[in-house]
Amino acid sequence: MPAPGSYRSRILAGTIASAALGMLGFSTIGFGAAVVGESRKVEITQKAPSGIDALKALYRRPASIPFPKDNPYTPEKAALGKKLYFDTRLSVTSAQSCASCHSPGFGWGDGLAVGVGHGMARLGRHSPTIVNAAWSAIFMWDGRLPTLEDQALGPIQSPGEMNMKLDDLMARLASIPEYKPMFETTFPGQGMKAKTLAQAIATYERTVVSERAPFDAWIEGSEKAISEDAKRGFALFNGKAQCAACHEGWNFTNEGFQDIGLPSTDIGRGEYLPGVIKMQHAFKTPGLREISRRSPFMHDGSLATLEAVVDHYDHGGVDRPSRSDLMRPLSLTAQDKADLVAFLKTLTSELEPTAVPVLPR
Amino acid sequence: MRTIALFTCVIVAGFSVGAFAATEMIHQQGRAFSVESISVKKGEAVTFLNDDTVPHNIMSASKGNEFNLGSQAPGTSTDVTFKEAGDVQVICAIHPRMKMMVKVTD
Ligand SMILES: [Cu+2]
Repeated sequence: MPAPGSYRSRILAGTIASAALGMLGFSTIGFGAAVVGESRKVEITQKAPSGIDALKALYRRPASIPFPKDNPYTPEKAALGKKLYFDTRLSVTSAQSCASCHSPGFGWGDGLAVGVGHGMARLGRHSPTIVNAAWSAIFMWDGRLPTLEDQALGPIQSPGEMNMKLDDLMARLASIPEYKPMFETTFPGQGMKAKTLAQAIATYERTVVSERAPFDAWIEGSEKAISEDAKRGFALFNGKAQCAACHEGWNFTNEGFQDIGLPSTDIGRGEYLPGVIKMQHAFKTPGLREISRRSPFMHDGSLATLEAVVDHYDHGGVDRPSRSDLMRPLSLTAQDKADLVAFLKTLTSELEPTAVPVLPR
Repeated sequence: MRTIALFTCVIVAGFSVGAFAATEMIHQQGRAFSVESISVKKGEAVTFLNDDTVPHNIMSASKGNEFNLGSQAPGTSTDVTFKEAGDVQVICAIHPRMKMMVKVTD
């Protein structure tokens, strides 16, 4: 379980999970009011992509970043959001910013097994990357938040993390003369409040997109962009190793939740869906972009290297009722494993340095 | 010729059993339901067919019509009969993008 008081485990747990799923009283209902018949075997014809070109097409980069209708992009908003993202004064100690745990230097994570919160206390889970968050369908390892705007305010208020009450934060920001005019210009008629703060931070976060990696050059036709090992790894990724069942599309995730059999007591999404066996120990499938900079891996940071990750999947993990049906021993050879790792490394870009903004005084 | 005719009979019989069991068929392909919403009469069954490549967990927590198909393997179908009138939100617990509404009428 996450550390007590950690935002990751606590905040408005049931309510938010229910809201996210569009339903109430989730944890108290008993299943079986609708009548469920026997399952039958059915002959189906799977439409598998034919050939390597069709497969490559599934991984093509999108042309633009999606922004939600109720928080559209403006350059001013992104610029203000960037200042707020890097501003340590958003934490009660003025020592931590969003970037403390989601740093460009570590692929927008923190390079630690589990995050470090208020008072240097260890948190319960690995700090996820914010790369490509614009494409996420649902937020946090256990999926309890429906939007990036909600997510932006979470760690700020969590006693275990930045530990800052929103009222106190808005008062503190108002006392910094240069912030007020920025908010007024960015949000005419709305100004400084928790909502606009969250909108600005979320807008900046949506601009954090993984850059072109060798893999992108390869799927666009440059045969020499990646090694022959990596090409074999891509075939394994989509075939024998079954990675693509969850790590699909250009950001290598379908935003789904699976128990991948890690020996941890954290029940993850099971906390919000107690009646659903497959959600016990289930965590959100992370994207794989910039993966080489994001070790250690998994929700608990328990696997140090990509080799260890591949070994875990090859082994199949802890066999328990909640474990995904996709998890089972894969019988990968040493060559297969090396090829998969070679492929995964092609997903990391030559990241441009991120300039730290000059902060308002 | 005789064999073919017999074979056809078996198929037709198979289909009519299916038609009797449920009036609506919902497909699941590419981690999505085939429709966003459907309307059914109270007491009518809906067939949820997993014709995707991965298991799904189709369920609903809408009051009066709660159900949970557990882990539905690819290549299986299950009928669900709705007992109460109302809007039923059906989701896949594994894949948060999979959502649909079943409007159950009296
Ligand atoms: Cu699903």
